[in-house]
Amino acid sequence: MPITHIHTYLVHPAKGIEQPEPIGGSTLPLTGQMFRLLRDVYDRADNECDVAISFNHRPNGDQQNDCRDLLIAYARAPHLARGRHIAERLAACTDNRPRMGLLFLVVGSEGLEHKVIISRFPADSGILAEQDGGNLNVEFLERIFMKSAKSYKAVLYRHRSFDAGFWHGRAIDKQMNDTDVNVSGYWINDFLDSDFLTTSATGTRRLAIACRNAARKAETTALKSEIVAAVTLAGGQDRQRLTAREFVQRLRLSDGAARAILSEMKEHLANERFQFSAAEFGRHVTYRSVALDNGGIMTAATDEFDQVFASQVIDGDERIRRYTTEGRIVSEKLGKTTR
Amino acid sequence: MTVRESYQNRFDTLLQRLATGIEGLIREYLQDVPRIDRVGARAKSVDRFVAKSEKLTDGRPKYSDPLAQIQDQIGARIITFYLSDVAAVAKVVETYFRAVETKDLVPESEWEFGYFGRHYILFTPSDVIEPDMDRSQVPDFFELQIKTLFQHAWSEAEHDLGYKAGAVPLNADEKRRLAFTAAQSWGADRIFDELYLERFNGQVN
Repeated sequence: MPITHIHTYLVHPAKGIEQPEPIGGSTLPLTGQMFRLLRDVYDRADNECDVAISFNHRPNGDQQNDCRDLLIAYARAPHLARGRHIAERLAACTDNRPRMGLLFLVVGSEGLEHKVIISRFPADSGILAEQDGGNLNVEFLERIFMKSAKSYKAVLYRHRSFDAGFWHGRAIDKQMNDTDVNVSGYWINDFLDSDFLTTSATGTRRLAIACRNAARKAETTALKSEIVAAVTLAGGQDRQRLTAREFVQRLRLSDGAARAILSEMKEHLANERFQFSAAEFGRHVTYRSVALDNGGIMTAATDEFDQVFASQVIDGDERIRRYTTEGRIVSEKLGKTTR
Repeated sequence: MTVRESYQNRFDTLLQRLATGIEGLIREYLQDVPRIDRVGARAKSVDRFVAKSEKLTDGRPKYSDPLAQIQDQIGARIITFYLSDVAAVAKVVETYFRAVETKDLVPESEWEFGYFGRHYILFTPSDVIEPDMDRSQVPDFFELQIKTLFQHAWSEAEHDLGYKAGAVPLNADEKRRLAFTAAQSWGADRIFDELYLERFNGQVN
């Protein structure tokens, strides 16, 4: 049995409150329906929690993080009192938008590794309907805690060493794609004092280079055009938290174009979540297009344009040029023009 | 399996490949940054790792699980021309890597002229992890140092003269002479940077 301890705490919003309510907690038995629900969370966390995050270091650069310290202190000796410190930290980061929640701390071991799950079930309301003979009794219930598909949060940490490990974990946050970053930000950024392990620049650069390479290697004009179009639309994803795989889905690319882009990066990188940066994307993949008054249009990757199209100034007028290029025709297309 | 055997296995199967990957990645990130003298990354040798793993603190082993705890199993270096370049490189590093520690290394006293440089403990980037690698053996971190040419030259020579395994400890006069070279290096770095800024940026007062 890998689970060794489960503790739970009722966490009220306490952000900005001077004298917050005391946090009630309980040790749960390792049997029964509640245990089975949490064992399911524990077992599925390795697959379900797919967002790599890491604790932030101190602002002065020291290798220390208050939240990690609380986590390790608890994981070393999982007592109700130590877990309450984690609950108090969550309460201090919780305002009235995420509202009340039920926090679960689940500790276990997997082989040589220690494993800790922190999960939060949001409070909701509901109606209890009970049939009593021919009568139906209905009752409004508050403080129902659900593993809601919309706002359930969890984070998984596992490592063999308390001293050296537990610097990174994997999270699930169903609100992560919420346009209001503050709603999801309170879980990863505020409570866990963490950020994505893949920086915005790293994830965006990888994606940009994959798009650029896929466009260069495209064997048909249609495929190349589709990828180039995706590149030009990418700016609309600025600041969105996504994976490369989600990026190609959001832009509704054909299977061929999506495959061409994703095959330009290692498979495991396509699933890493990061915050897309339009500025960073533009640094790595841009297209330069020159239109001439004779109807000619030339397009090439910006950094290749001058190699693809040699130009010569005519009669000393910079605006009048002769362009030359040479290459094997890979495709030819006729289309309607706007003329 | 002993610590030496475990590390030797990790060194042979993973660390050298990871170091090569990290060096390549750093080069890519810095390709548009001028005045980089060199970029390098290498795995800590087995002998040096074992020696470090056996260090004592107050008579007790410093590391209970050295394979997990020693964070510089891979060490990378970026050497710049001038002091101003260190900041430019640091900005790129902090943009593309996640750090667990950052430090400006300066001697403890202004009367000392020892080791200078910018130091990071960074998460091993997933870009360099290949599908055939045993992820449980991939170290979580690697060390990165950014130094100027003079900082690098001084620390290399100082390490060679003073800290080689089995070396006799430096005496007071030798330490004084090393301090002199450090002060000379410190001064040269300052003057070169001032000249660079004066000639190319016009920012020196």
